Amino acid sequence: MSLANNFYNLIFKRNSVYVPVVFASAFAFGIGFDLGTTAFWDSWNKGKQWKDIRHNYVQQEE
Amino acid sequence: MSTLARSVTRVNLAPTVSQFSTGVPKAPVFVNFAAKAPHDAHGHHGPSAIRSDVAPSWATEVKLRNGFNGLVSKTHVTAPPTVPGSFRHIHTSRAVQEAPEVPDYSSYKTSSGSNNRALSYFLVGSMGVVSASLAKSTVTGFLSSMAASADVLALAKVEVEMANIPEGKNVIIKWRGKPVFIRHRTPEEIEEANSVDVKALRDPQTDEARTKQPEWLVMLGVCTHLGCVPIGESGDYGGWFCPCHGSHYDISGRIRAGPAPTNLEIPEYTIDEGAGKIVVG
Repeated sequence: MSLANNFYNLIFKRNSVYVPVVFASAFAFGIGFDLGTTAFWDSWNKGKQWKDIRHNYVQQEE
Repeated sequence: MSTLARSVTRVNLAPTVSQFSTGVPKAPVFVNFAAKAPHDAHGHHGPSAIRSDVAPSWATEVKLRNGFNGLVSKTHVTAPPTVPGSFRHIHTSRAVQEAPEVPDYSSYKTSSGSNNRALSYFLVGSMGVVSASLAKSTVTGFLSSMAASADVLALAKVEVEMANIPEGKNVIIKWRGKPVFIRHRTPEEIEEANSVDVKALRDPQTDEARTKQPEWLVMLGVCTHLGCVPIGESGDYGGWFCPCHGSHYDISGRIRAGPAPTNLEIPEYTIDEGAGKIVVG
């Protein structure tokens, strides 16, 4: 109850706060989404990407 | 089966409610709805009022009899069928309501409005967050499709081995369709470039501003006058000389005489000491 009131007074009460919070959350959401999907991609393709198998080849050259 | 047959109630109920010609049931006005049905008073509450619309106890009885499974009811009187014009003392029509019955919605009512308000604003804001990220990724997609691709960017750079250029020698390379002069300058030439009074120049620039390392001068080999290619190690100032209209550049590529308005341009380049390379672009 008081938590909801705190949120309302902090964020929703003024549009000058609400809209920047929305854009900032969109920015953070975009970064988080990118990180999450990249991590999922890397885990799904584990062992297939160049960065995973690079040590097999680079060590032989040196 | 016999039990069922024995427990038939022998009551003659009034067949129907008598009704007006419109079909509305005709209810007598003197029925006492407030009175309670006959019940055991449990010795208190005093004598209870008898409901006038229930058959009196002397007219009917309900007993638990031995030999029968369950209650047996018996009616001692025969109720006459309702005939037109007779009063009917038992009826099944509902009591007339003063106002239409409104359901009780109090369980649907919220206990606090602030939770709902915060939730509503949160949902609207989440919608905004999702739309804003969608718009951002759309714009980013369009912009990145317009940007130069990796192979184009790779072709736009030129690497030059520094060890191949001896001191006091010029090298002309082609970079993005234009000539680029690279000169490995001697200490005397650097001193000469620094000794010039910068304020007296047409396009005042110090030698430090034009080089990243004083030994290496990298500049576009296009005359700033009309775009000819100047000739190296010639001219009155020991630098470059444009044969088209006679512009003289000094050993730092600065315009000293002739029609050219500005110094020779410096392209974007990096000097990679570890690999011994100059990367133009």
